[in-house]
Amino acid sequence: MDINKIRLDFPFFAQNSTKKPQIYLDTACQSLRPQVVLDAMNRYYQLEPACGGRSMHHLSAAVSKQVDETRMAAARFFHASRKEEIIFTRNTTEGINIVANSLGLAAGDTVVISGKEHNSNLIPWQMLVRRAGINLKIIPPLPDGTFNIQEFEQFIASGVKLVSLGMTSNLDGVTIPAAEVVKAAHRAGALVLLDAAQAAPHRPIDVRSLDVDFLALSGHKMLGPSGTGILYGKYALLEKLSPFLVGGDTVATSTYDSCEFLPPPEKFEAGLQDYAGIYGLKAAFEYIQKVGFDFIQKQETSLNEFITGEISSLPGLTILGPADPKLRGGIINFTIEGIDSHRIALMLDQMAGVMVRSGQHCVHSWFNDRQIKGSVRASTYFYNTLEEAAVFVENLKKIRKVL
Amino acid sequence: MFCIISFIVLSILGIFSASNRELAREALDCVLRRVTLRPCTTGFDEKMKARILGVVITRSEGAARFLNRNFERLAWLFFGLLLASVIFAVRGLFLFYTTGSCNGANSTEFCVFDPTGANNQVSTTSQVCTIPVTPAQMTLNLKKIDLTQFPTLNPGSGDNLFMIACYHCEFSRKTYPIIRSLVDRFHIGLTFIHYPVKEPTDSFSKLAYCVNQLQPDKFWSFNDLMFEGDKANLDDPTYINGLLGKAGVDAKKVNACIADPATETAVKKQMEQVASTGFTGTPTIFYKDQVFVGPKPYRVYAIALRGFFYWLR
Ligand SMILES: Cc1ncc(COP(=O)(O)O)c(C=O)c1O
Repeated sequence: MDINKIRLDFPFFAQNSTKKPQIYLDTACQSLRPQVVLDAMNRYYQLEPACGGRSMHHLSAAVSKQVDETRMAAARFFHASRKEEIIFTRNTTEGINIVANSLGLAAGDTVVISGKEHNSNLIPWQMLVRRAGINLKIIPPLPDGTFNIQEFEQFIASGVKLVSLGMTSNLDGVTIPAAEVVKAAHRAGALVLLDAAQAAPHRPIDVRSLDVDFLALSGHKMLGPSGTGILYGKYALLEKLSPFLVGGDTVATSTYDSCEFLPPPEKFEAGLQDYAGIYGLKAAFEYIQKVGFDFIQKQETSLNEFITGEISSLPGLTILGPADPKLRGGIINFTIEGIDSHRIALMLDQMAGVMVRSGQHCVHSWFNDRQIKGSVRASTYFYNTLEEAAVFVENLKKIRKVL
Repeated sequence: MFCIISFIVLSILGIFSASNRELAREALDCVLRRVTLRPCTTGFDEKMKARILGVVITRSEGAARFLNRNFERLAWLFFGLLLASVIFAVRGLFLFYTTGSCNGANSTEFCVFDPTGANNQVSTTSQVCTIPVTPAQMTLNLKKIDLTQFPTLNPGSGDNLFMIACYHCEFSRKTYPIIRSLVDRFHIGLTFIHYPVKEPTDSFSKLAYCVNQLQPDKFWSFNDLMFEGDKANLDDPTYINGLLGKAGVDAKKVNACIADPATETAVKKQMEQVASTGFTGTPTIFYKDQVFVGPKPYRVYAIALRGFFYWLR
């Protein structure tokens, strides 16, 4: 794989030659998109702008076919047993909320999460604590940010309904030992939901070999259109769940006082879908498959090793998570003592068009617990180059020297 | 402090660009939160500081370091400077409105509202230029002059303007119609004297003197005609004769008067008296204890005559 060739596929980089330089290191928030994704979306709007599933005409049939193909592509991508296990959502947050609100959790049921969860995998459970009286157990991470599997295994034995964990953390890039977690949870009779928002774009996920029960992810973090996502669920479980967002397209028929829900996945896909997004999502899966996770991981690791090597010894700089860059995927999240994270981010942008994220990255709970105001997060993807990383490093060093 | 100064600066810049307007709005938000003693949650000041530092650091690391350490102090300094310049600007604007010069009556120092200095140009005895002395050095007054010997319009009106002008001079020709219309509007007296700041216009002193001596009732018609049309016409004796005829003045008698040596003596005496006012060029206009050197806008004379709210009268 030639990175320069890859970059030609992204219109974002083409505009860079004419505008002031832009170095995008914020993929953990949203990735850039290749032209094929944009073309697929345009195809919907320009040539097939119709409703899927509802009408009988040929345009509607074309849309339904494309939706079905995307579902199949996603099923293949994640190795699901059947395409009906793939539910289209707007994002990871929606996927988690569907599970949280459809599972029928009741007073006394226990849900386990980690102490490093994105708000999307914290707030839905906090609401259930308040509304339904469930118990929420939080497993704190080890000092280096890695998952405390021992504490988890000990706790899980006490009887838990659901384990809901971020597979890869957006805070420090650490990936949990998902297979072990699932095994331990299942042994204890608990279901497992994995928040794969930061995992799916960067590593192959085989839901069948993992034996995970639910998996939520966002398309926009893996080259897909904004506001697209997928919730995977084992078919047998999905059949049992009672959908929480209901209405048009979720039922086969209704009377004035009753309705008959469609089977999964339709019963979870209420209202008209983001067809253009679904078209684009298929192109995104295909593109990632073409690039391959080997290349993706190799590129991310070399970028992370380079950046870590260059900045970890800067005075006052602390990298969140383990010291070994191989354990942090594409994420380099750090604080610099005495310098506000937003100031660093804004200066990097102003100085060299380097775009990073600053603040608490939607993991406020972790920061507030440690009374840290915020951090600066650079997140890379396979389309970033060493030259870009060098510009980031050089400017960060300058900021450290001057401020 | 940073929010306040940013708000002021960005509001001004906002006149020209929408993105600055947006920033100004954020700055205002920041100011209001500060004022109500809530923490500045917009992060506006942080945003601006970082942007400024980001620009400075690429040019000079030392300057960026200094700026970073002294941000708030510098903001106060700029606020002080801004306040001072606002005060000066308002003062300048007021002075320009009331006197036609930013720096006080008849000042020839640079004025942004009148960059060419048009309001203070005069025709001096030798050439056309701005007056070579500043007003503070001038001792212009009417103490040594007997005004009764000069033609006066609306005598006995109480108020009186004394105008030293030159028929052939551009700035006098610009000012005369303004003064005439003010005299009519506010019914004030006007004493007029032609002063020949340019040599070839010497004869006009005698001409005006003779018209006033022979037919004082026709003087103002004559005077108004002298300031009308193209000034080049004045060089043509037949045009002058025609003009006298138009004003109802007997040209023959006037020409005889001009040729009379007694006229020469009388005019010379008059000119000496005029020179005693200390004036250095035309037009110069005296009104009570005020002097206007150069062609001022209508409003400047009107304010002097009837006050700031002259337009209400
Ligand atoms: C680990 C993790 N979970 C959940 C989310 C929420 O994703 P979305 O906003 O697409 O719902 C994110 C987004 O950054 C994330 O990083």
